[in-house]
Amino acid sequence: MLARSAHATFTSLSKKRHICQSCLRRASRAPSTSTGRTLIQSRTLQTDDDAPFRKRLKDAAKTKRKREHASAGSTGDQNIGVNSRAAKWELTVGIEIHAELNTARKLFSSAATSISETPNTHVTLFDAALPGSQPHFQKETLIPALRAALALGCKIQPKSSFDRKHYFYQDQPAGYQITQYYEPFARDGHITLWPHDFPGGVSPEDGPVTIGIKQIQMEQDTAKTVHQPPSTHLIDFNRVSHPLIEIITLPQIHNPTTAAVCVRKIQMILKAVNAVTAGMEMGGLRADVNVSVRDRTAAAPGPGHSFYGISGLGQRTEIKNLASVKAIDDAIVAERNRQIDLLENGGVVEGETRGWALGSTTTKRLRGKEGEIDYRYMPDPDIAPVTIGPDLVQHLANTLPTLPDDNLRHLVAQEGGLLSTKDASTLLALDDGDRLDYYFDVIHHLRSTFPRKRKLLADLGKVTGNWVLMELGGLFKNQEWSAKRVPSDQLATIIAQVFDKQITRHTGKLLLSKKFEGDIRPIERIIADENLHLRPLSPQEYSDLAQSLLDEKPDMVKDITEKQQFGKVKWFVGQMMARSEEGTVEPETAEVVLRELLHLPPMEQK
Amino acid sequence: ERLLANPTWSVESLLPPKAGATDTPKISSQQLHHLLRLSALPPPSSPEDEKKMLDTLSAQLHFVGEIQQVDTTGVEPLRAIRDETRAAEKEHKITMETLTEAFAQEKVVGKHHKRIQRNTDSVDATDVENWAVLGSAERKAGKFFVVESERPVE
Repeated sequence: MLARSAHATFTSLSKKRHICQSCLRRASRAPSTSTGRTLIQSRTLQTDDDAPFRKRLKDAAKTKRKREHASAGSTGDQNIGVNSRAAKWELTVGIEIHAELNTARKLFSSAATSISETPNTHVTLFDAALPGSQPHFQKETLIPALRAALALGCKIQPKSSFDRKHYFYQDQPAGYQITQYYEPFARDGHITLWPHDFPGGVSPEDGPVTIGIKQIQMEQDTAKTVHQPPSTHLIDFNRVSHPLIEIITLPQIHNPTTAAVCVRKIQMILKAVNAVTAGMEMGGLRADVNVSVRDRTAAAPGPGHSFYGISGLGQRTEIKNLASVKAIDDAIVAERNRQIDLLENGGVVEGETRGWALGSTTTKRLRGKEGEIDYRYMPDPDIAPVTIGPDLVQHLANTLPTLPDDNLRHLVAQEGGLLSTKDASTLLALDDGDRLDYYFDVIHHLRSTFPRKRKLLADLGKVTGNWVLMELGGLFKNQEWSAKRVPSDQLATIIAQVFDKQITRHTGKLLLSKKFEGDIRPIERIIADENLHLRPLSPQEYSDLAQSLLDEKPDMVKDITEKQQFGKVKWFVGQMMARSEEGTVEPETAEVVLRELLHLPPMEQK
Repeated sequence: ERLLANPTWSVESLLPPKAGATDTPKISSQQLHHLLRLSALPPPSSPEDEKKMLDTLSAQLHFVGEIQQVDTTGVEPLRAIRDETRAAEKEHKITMETLTEAFAQEKVVGKHHKRIQRNTDSVDATDVENWAVLGSAERKAGKFFVVESERPVE
């Protein structure tokens, strides 16, 4: 921390979460010396005069590019209006995510976890905070917690402990929440956001963004409250002491979209390792964001505020309980605008807690400094410290499911052709990963049946992706996915047959829908039974058929040759296929023949 | 007997002198009200009551100050009286063995893209859940506890 008057130091220190308040009070009685500089300087604190101008130019170019992308329809008017201000004001955001762990029992009692069950039926004496009841740490809750921490790259602390955070509220029967303030179980992780994670595939920072995770801690959830206007609340204690993890990021986010994408990605990772099952839509994950702005162009940047080691920041406000990814983006934009307006009009940002309602244009103040709560954190004397064996951590690390980024990398770079990043993301997200498993199985079959077909293997990823996502996906439409409708080996056969030119692609699709509708005959059987083998017409047969069609519809021919309505060529192709037996006319050949006859330029090679 | 007849020390020595002058920081009325609100205690009933509270608080702070004079370098603050021997720590360490049953409730799904699924059949917790949760509630509405509050909903 930079040297300042003792009083100023302590006023800001009292807002820092790690400083023990009692130590603070003791120190304030004695004259103090400044603490040493131990904090990381924010990288944007430049001191030479050229830098701000250079940065302004760079930012202007960036905002111009962003405006072009914004017009593709991301967050609309608000972003465009503020883009010019973005050059002057640097936004800093830190996020705190609360996620409900996927466990059978609660954190400190052996009652069952539940969603929407009869109120107050899964409550122990301790959950209801009856005097004399004791906490019993449920060790199984560590399993999803550790998985989450490992997936986010954290270091697991061999020893961690629980503390009480005191405040009174109707959803907190004990008058305190049990959390891990002094010794969380996991520290120092990170999450990387790649361009493909962002909407439109464009990262606001021109490349991957890595955000540090300060720590992850376990804590209790509160009761559910149903508000009956005007002032009655109905309380259900089923949710009390459900295990939560709180994930705290470092304030290294400088863009509202980055913040929203960060939360979405963390949710995706947590679901991938089965740490969390209910997402934001179900209320299983909530985010609080801390927002501050800083004048980039200030000639001599003041000492500013520092949080978690990042100094030179503006005063922050906290927006609580954002329940959707869009709300995060909108709320941060609104709050940034509010703070900039305030500062540009000579005001001062107060450190307060604010709320956001869906559909609002500004955040609303919930609690000011005078209502600031001193939580009086205290180690919970009733709960023994948690020691985690290294064998457990090792086992969980070894058996951690593949993370979305690794899967994506594998899909896009696999030997056997590129699946586009967009398709890969879609494949990953569908049906809780079952669709991806099926995809891998089809590829596995193709690889083992045709180990030497170089050309097939070269395009394998893309071709299979197309069949699994588009063709088969199209058949399912709104039905629930099942890998049994079209067994993977059957689809593999279809793909191989098409590739080998044993059947046309059109026939392949027909076979697929036959199997989908329940035809139990193996593919080879159906082909044989119904004579679906490709029996290509001779060139003469092609031209004869084409010519007869063209003769039938002279008006259409005129549309094509005179009015340049080239789309109608496809109609003729369709007619040629419809009038011939299945498996005889190939659309590509038909189109070539038709174009020749119509004296049209050949179509471009795809 | 004679040895124990006269006290040699009293805890009063840690309290401020009756005259009241101490070097503890002065507590403002605003701070007092803030502390009372945090602790969900009623505000002072009269200015005399408030003065009494402030004096008591001041004396308590002086007392705490005296306690803090004790040199505790190298001494870890005690959180609870526990068995902190190596043997006890070993016993309480959470290992693979400790969680065998929990792992048995999970399975791996998928042939190539392996994922974890936890058995979500409901657990039987009747031994701890089976009691009259709403039994001592002053006010209830159906299966809910009822709270009347004028404070804005957070």
